[in-house]
Amino acid sequence: MLPADCSRRLVAELRDALDACAERQRQLERSLRVSRRLLRTWEPETPAAEPAPGPETNEEVPPPACTPSRQELKELELLTQALEKAVRVRKSMSKAGERHKALSLKSGDAATSASTASAPSRASSQAGSQASETKPPRGAHQTTVPARGLPEGRLPSVGDRTRMARGARATKPGPGLRDQQITASAAPQAPEAFTLKEKGILLKLPMAYRKAASQNSRLWAQFSSTQTSDSRDAATTAKTQFLQKMKMTSGWPGSGLSAAEVEAEVGLLRKACSLLRWRMEEELSADPADWMQEYHCLLTLEGLQAITGRCLHRVQELRAAVAGQQLKPWPEGRCPRASMPCEGRTDSSWSPQLLLYSSTKELQTLAALRLRVAMLEQQIHLEKVLMAELFPLVSTRDPQGPSWLVLCRAVHSLLCEGGERFLTILRDEPAD
Amino acid sequence: MGRRRLRGHRGDAVGALPEAIAALSQTLPAGPSPEIFRRAKFDRPEAAPALWQLLFRVLSPLPADGASASPASPTSPALEAQVHLVKSALRSQGYPRRALAQLPEDGSQGSRELLLALAWLLARGPLLEQLLAQTRVRLGDEIPLCECEALASAGPLPPRQEADGPVDIRHLQWLMGKLRFQWRNLITSQQEQCALLGKIHSYTRGCHSDRSLGHLSVAETELFRDPEGGRQLLQRLESENARLEAALVWWRQELVFWKWMAGGWGPEWTAVQRASQEAVGRELATLQRAWEQGEALAQTHGPRRLVKRDAGASGGPGLRAAELIGVLRSRETCLEAVLGRLQTRCWQELTRLAGARPGLLWILPPGR
Repeated sequence: MLPADCSRRLVAELRDALDACAERQRQLERSLRVSRRLLRTWEPETPAAEPAPGPETNEEVPPPACTPSRQELKELELLTQALEKAVRVRKSMSKAGERHKALSLKSGDAATSASTASAPSRASSQAGSQASETKPPRGAHQTTVPARGLPEGRLPSVGDRTRMARGARATKPGPGLRDQQITASAAPQAPEAFTLKEKGILLKLPMAYRKAASQNSRLWAQFSSTQTSDSRDAATTAKTQFLQKMKMTSGWPGSGLSAAEVEAEVGLLRKACSLLRWRMEEELSADPADWMQEYHCLLTLEGLQAITGRCLHRVQELRAAVAGQQLKPWPEGRCPRASMPCEGRTDSSWSPQLLLYSSTKELQTLAALRLRVAMLEQQIHLEKVLMAELFPLVSTRDPQGPSWLVLCRAVHSLLCEGGERFLTILRDEPAD
Repeated sequence: MGRRRLRGHRGDAVGALPEAIAALSQTLPAGPSPEIFRRAKFDRPEAAPALWQLLFRVLSPLPADGASASPASPTSPALEAQVHLVKSALRSQGYPRRALAQLPEDGSQGSRELLLALAWLLARGPLLEQLLAQTRVRLGDEIPLCECEALASAGPLPPRQEADGPVDIRHLQWLMGKLRFQWRNLITSQQEQCALLGKIHSYTRGCHSDRSLGHLSVAETELFRDPEGGRQLLQRLESENARLEAALVWWRQELVFWKWMAGGWGPEWTAVQRASQEAVGRELATLQRAWEQGEALAQTHGPRRLVKRDAGASGGPGLRAAELIGVLRSRETCLEAVLGRLQTRCWQELTRLAGARPGLLWILPPGR
């Protein structure tokens, strides 16, 4: 067993890491829900402010108005009847394994099967359940046309969710239940199921949104351009003077660097250290082909040495400052992250920048790498914490005692194998 | 003396100061009226609560979108709690004045000191830009690229019940295993999300009015599926535009504000005015160096909108995924080297300690 205070610290660190991971997972799941929903069948409705849709809109896409006019209702009813007939004809012709479009209800969240093999069997089983469906679709959004009084179909979709999870694609609605539904209804409905895959390119952003969005990006772009005018320089000088005054009138004895400033600088120096070391190793492992490359290599190494010297000097200065002054202590618990960690962004543009990718595979590689880097950073942090806590234990415990070997084995696994593998310890006794 | 300054410095338009302060107030979240600022300069007590609340809002981290997500944290804590948090946040950021720490906890006094604190935050760095970026309406799809996003949205950490007693080291091993498993899950979910995004981007190609983007994002496609949500998005966009315009007005006028802040505080200031002139140059140089050192990593910071574009298409602004993949690969290699070095050091140390028990064979696991 580990001592209480050590246990507390280590468990806290590991739980922090787990919480951070869980938070990322939560956010991902939120996004996944939204994306999956968009790739199923749903009905596009442009927001009310939009005038009649432009010429590129396919007439199969339902009209944007929330309450269809009488004329439209009539037309759609005629269309519905014609399509019923078409479906009946088509059904008699379809074989197993053939996908076919069906008339759709307000589908909302109704999940549909991606596998076509089971479609015919579902059709027959659905026929009997027509009368019994009363449940509304899961999480149906309330905003679409209330005039559509159709009872909602709820296809058996629980098992389908796992299939969706493995590789969601645009889905076709299951045919059977809906066919039955159509004959019973008199209310208007969309003539064709809308899926992003087929009709996505027909969508046109509403004017109000377009205006607001372009104004938004224009305004953000102005942020960087206002940074460099003359009046800004005067303001910068005034600000610096103000800061200086604040420092002089602090009321603290021996005012100097604050704990936050030291911490920030130490962070930068740490980054500098790993970058410098990595660059140095690159240079040392490179194989210069000619004298010019070798000279370049030498110059780089000398430059790195000079920078390192300066950094070391700064570290010594900071150390002296910390030792010599009475620094304000950190507040208890975690400090609120009021200072944004992204310090390097001050002179880059604040407007949302683009990240261009050319294929899904590329995007996946990028995202996976990003997670891997984050995971490695976390692992390194945990490694250092574990080292600091566990090595003293191994040193101070009696090697001849019963639990020492157990401890060593566990420490080896945690510190040298990332907790993944264990070593075996054998007593080396001479053969008798 | 303060009264004279209020009417505008010689040469500036009368009313420039109230305009500047009004613009500042509109840009800030929970910004109080210009009248509060004026009263604060005179240290009027009635101005104190509003300024405490403003500082609290500015200094506390934002919860992740879905602010009502965690039931544990109240939407807005009591004034005393706000006072306490503001004090500790400012202290940890290095606020130089002791007077703030000595203000009463009930938030009834100290408006002048709070005004100074706000000005100090404004002077130190790009506070407004950061606040606006924090709450920026995201129209595009993003994958989290830098740690800062994850940290900033972590929100106030809930109080945790710690295990009080000693734990078995196997509990730690179990936690590590759980962590590894969670990471694997995360990667799988992330891969799926990328696949879905790729599809949505492909299917909506050519729809966007902005040619440089080309296709719709998830949020934009949602406009069609959920018009009510779309209306809310539009509202948020428009109010953000208003704030951005106010920010631009503030930057045009802010010199007036700094001149106002510079004057009329009393004798303790005039004495040090001359001394501060010399330090200005030094101060600027130090600041610059600090930013420069952060430059190298600026590329991977900040959110970026994902845009799917054929590999053949050339030109245009924006970071190419292939480039970023290269940067991340080198970072990955670097980190793997660091971790490997640490593990080797551990192994060497353990070997040394194992010398205390001779007569044992330590058989390493395969695959090392």
